[in-house]
Amino acid sequence: MSLASVSETGSIPIRKRRFARRALPYLLSLPALLVCIGILVPFVTAAYYSLMRFRLNLPALKGFIWFDNYINFLSDSAFWNTVSISLVYAFVTVAVELVLGLGIALLLVKPSRLNNLASILLLLPLMTAPALAALMWKLMTNPNFGILSYLVGLIGFTDFRWASDPRTALLTVTLVDVWVYTPFIMILLLAGLRSLPKQPFEAAALDGVPRSFVFFRITLPMLMPYIITASLFRLLDSIQQFDIVYSLTQGGPGDKLMVFQVQAYLEFFQYTNVGRSAALMMVLWAITYFLSNIFIKQWLKLRERARGVS
Amino acid sequence: MFERGRDLTARFVKGEISRREMLKGASRLGLGIATTGFLLNESMTRAMAADFDWMKFKGTKLKLLLNKHPYADAMIADLENFKSMTGMDVSYDIFPEDVYFDKVTAALSSSSSEYDAFMTGAYMTWTYGPAGWVDDLNEYIKDPAKTNPNYNWEDVLPGLRASTAWNGVPGGELGSADAKQWCTPWGFELNSVAYNRKIFDKVGVEPPKNMEDLMNVAAKVTKDAGGPYGIGVRGSRSWATIHPGFLSAYSNFEQRDFTVTDGKLKAAMNTDVSKSFHKQWVQMIQDSGPKNWSTYTWYQVGTDLGAGASGMIFDADILGYFMNGGDNKEAGNIAYTPFAANPAAKAPTPNVWIWSLALSSFSKQKDAAWYFMQWATSTEHDLFGARKMDFVNPVRASVWKDEEFRARIDKSYPGYLKQYEASSEGSKIYFTPQPLFFDLTTQWAETLQKMVAKEIPVDEGLDKLAENIDKQLKDAGIGG
Amino acid sequence: MERVSALERVIRTVLILLVLVFFLFPIFWILLMSFQSNDQILRIPPSIVFEPTIANYATLLTGKLQTTAGNLDVAFLKNLGNSMLLSTGSVILSLILGVPAAYAFARFKFRLGENIAFTLLSFRFAPPLLVLLPLSLYFKQLGLTDSYFGLIWIYQLICLPLILWIVRGYFEDVSPDIEHAYRVAGHSWWTTFRKIAIPLAMPGIAAAGLLAFIFAWNNFVFALILASADKQPVTVGALAFVTASGIQYGQIAAAIVLSVMPTLLLALYAQRYLVQGLSLGAVKG
Repeated sequence: MSLASVSETGSIPIRKRRFARRALPYLLSLPALLVCIGILVPFVTAAYYSLMRFRLNLPALKGFIWFDNYINFLSDSAFWNTVSISLVYAFVTVAVELVLGLGIALLLVKPSRLNNLASILLLLPLMTAPALAALMWKLMTNPNFGILSYLVGLIGFTDFRWASDPRTALLTVTLVDVWVYTPFIMILLLAGLRSLPKQPFEAAALDGVPRSFVFFRITLPMLMPYIITASLFRLLDSIQQFDIVYSLTQGGPGDKLMVFQVQAYLEFFQYTNVGRSAALMMVLWAITYFLSNIFIKQWLKLRERARGVS
Repeated sequence: MFERGRDLTARFVKGEISRREMLKGASRLGLGIATTGFLLNESMTRAMAADFDWMKFKGTKLKLLLNKHPYADAMIADLENFKSMTGMDVSYDIFPEDVYFDKVTAALSSSSSEYDAFMTGAYMTWTYGPAGWVDDLNEYIKDPAKTNPNYNWEDVLPGLRASTAWNGVPGGELGSADAKQWCTPWGFELNSVAYNRKIFDKVGVEPPKNMEDLMNVAAKVTKDAGGPYGIGVRGSRSWATIHPGFLSAYSNFEQRDFTVTDGKLKAAMNTDVSKSFHKQWVQMIQDSGPKNWSTYTWYQVGTDLGAGASGMIFDADILGYFMNGGDNKEAGNIAYTPFAANPAAKAPTPNVWIWSLALSSFSKQKDAAWYFMQWATSTEHDLFGARKMDFVNPVRASVWKDEEFRARIDKSYPGYLKQYEASSEGSKIYFTPQPLFFDLTTQWAETLQKMVAKEIPVDEGLDKLAENIDKQLKDAGIGG
Repeated sequence: MERVSALERVIRTVLILLVLVFFLFPIFWILLMSFQSNDQILRIPPSIVFEPTIANYATLLTGKLQTTAGNLDVAFLKNLGNSMLLSTGSVILSLILGVPAAYAFARFKFRLGENIAFTLLSFRFAPPLLVLLPLSLYFKQLGLTDSYFGLIWIYQLICLPLILWIVRGYFEDVSPDIEHAYRVAGHSWWTTFRKIAIPLAMPGIAAAGLLAFIFAWNNFVFALILASADKQPVTVGALAFVTASGIQYGQIAAAIVLSVMPTLLLALYAQRYLVQGLSLGAVKG
């Protein structure tokens, strides 16, 4: 690492300097870790609950059942429905938002006053709390008073049922999600695009390289780490989505949108089934752990490659 | 002038002079209506204060957890009277209804002693009671040292007193002799039909008399009213979809959610009668219900009626009440009718929702909190709320007999009193109390959604539901 | 420099307009609703013509609400203040903790480095509902229930991983060469960090800080469960307009508009930092 080769002026003895140098990264990163470490205790407690049969209104039945909660999931069709709908929802929303976000960032990449203003205004959907946004979307898609139902009716969809029809529920919820969260990806990629070095682009322009080549062979690879970070965060959040789905349909119609956190919410807050709720959340945590591992490994690989090049 | 005014109101409260005499005397003294009302309230409170040591817990600080609701607002408007009568200080946390019960569950499940008393519904106590989070109020009500002699517990409608008492045994009958009183009724709603008179007149229909009539009237409105749909009922994926009109009609056909044999429960919603009823209900929604039915909660059902988007609703009577006022477009056009779905039934059998007050088991000042609870559910306070603050429906029979209250309702809400009187005797909770109430009722709603969306035929859906339910009951040790 | 044809410019403008319409139309509609009374909002069919009223804003700012069921008290301004306090406090703390840590991960390759980094990330994907109940129990024991301090601490779970990983990416992209040059000239790592690294990574820091602010602002469940009514943020408070006598859409719309204001102003202010990177021109070998 090049920094190690930089000599230091001053009268600090060498051994102490070397120790200070090695301790420095820990000193910089550990406070952050320590502040968050407290969360491990509740986490372990929750993991413990997940190994129990524990229903607050059936105290007589409380007891340790090891992994029975998890084993019961395996044969529960409702559980598999939750897994599949959560994954589908997460991947579809992130995919759409990524493409859309990247496209918008490319449109606005030149730092003109208009483009900057547009990029800030486009953050407005994100600034609206998802629960409130969903409430407003519920009104806008109401067949009687909803402006969106009205507009959609004008172009021929007179009986569009939005979130209340099992066939269009996922579409509606995805639409709201895309509306709220695309700006998140957009702003990250925009900042990323703007901090990319100009040289490769200038060189390509001088050489008369076609734009599609520039995009796919220069822009995209350099932007990849940012893309991975942005989509990672969005994926983690999307698979845990609660506010939008619960506000619009409470997991319905039927069980079409019964994603993990909605089911866990019902299990804990309404049915007071602490054991089952905890087990469900542990499964969700495991899935996100697994997925983010993949993403991070990919990200690190790219970083290594980039560092190797420079 | 005020002293003489107080004299007058005190004599009225004691029953020495009639109401007319009091009002005449007050106007002669130059007191306006508002002031007279205020003095009257004061006198009532003071009368209540006699014969009982209200000041026993002077200086105590109580904290309440309240839902953002007209009942809470009415109580807060009157709270000064309580504070001056008892010398206690009362603070409260109000949370929006959408998140209120989450807050209660979180507070109680963490054994928090922050709140002494809180608002709740009867169904919730089926969880709170067995979990050990609320106290049995019988020990307070029956103890003359703790409860003031004018409390008059028997004045509270019998159906409501029974519905908020359960012995904790799954399937045990509500209001049984060994039942524990988990909460005190505060305000309630029964389910009936509220309809838009203008729309009905335009289409040329009469208020429906039974289930088939309901379907036909609703269909006619949808066809001929030029916009509004026939009938608003709830459809969201929640226990609250089964609880209002649906269960009221269901019970009218003498159907139950469970049969109980030797303390073991078995699902009963797949009987033949139940299946044919479900078919009718599903058909009605498909033909004349709101388009977004499966996302409809109390709010959407009410909003549509108030904005003239629906011809009628089969839901809480107070929902129709609220939609007839305020800045609703159809304010003044709403009328009310009791509803018995079964043509062979003698009277309606409305299911009820009872907002109540419960005493937290973790409170450190229970007796003082009980003082608050008995004041808030007293006749005096109920009268105040009913007369002045839209506190409907009051839970006490005496309040329903009060002329001022009745005159007020009759003036602005024609038919409301009649609908109440025809429905009140059969009004109680028709669900079978058991610990899996929320789980299973929500699944029932989910199945209803699937049936309306034609994802599963009614017969098959109900059979599968019953099978699923029986399995869960067995796992929980209460199924047979 | 690219040659941009007129056609291209037109297409670009059209696309930008389409994007703006899609994302901003609902916002525009909400803005309109905030100036309408409920009976105007609930018209069939909906209409863009209406008589404006400022009653909704008046209610929110003065704190009194009139419904069918009487006069209610509204605590909206307090909720707004709570949101500001919680979000600002959380983001400031996260920046103080996260930016140096991000620098450490980017610049130094130290043992356990990746492990610590990943652990910090993993806190973000503990689903809130997993830890909420145990958390409320422990909060009670620690005496942190109903305290801004406790809430800001919990909000770190939302803000810190975000800031950490996003800013780390930007630090990694900033070439170390300038920093080397600066260090060779005799400055300590702290000055280098302050004067070179941070300004160069500013777009990333600004973006991350803004996003962390937004996510903290939008959070709902932590304050609800762990705090009393007087500490509730705007997200919970706005639900108070979903009343038993009807949803007051006008007031909710006004509440949304008011609650978006502070974040919007912050974003407009942070705008210049988002652009800065380009002008300094990070040079990569």
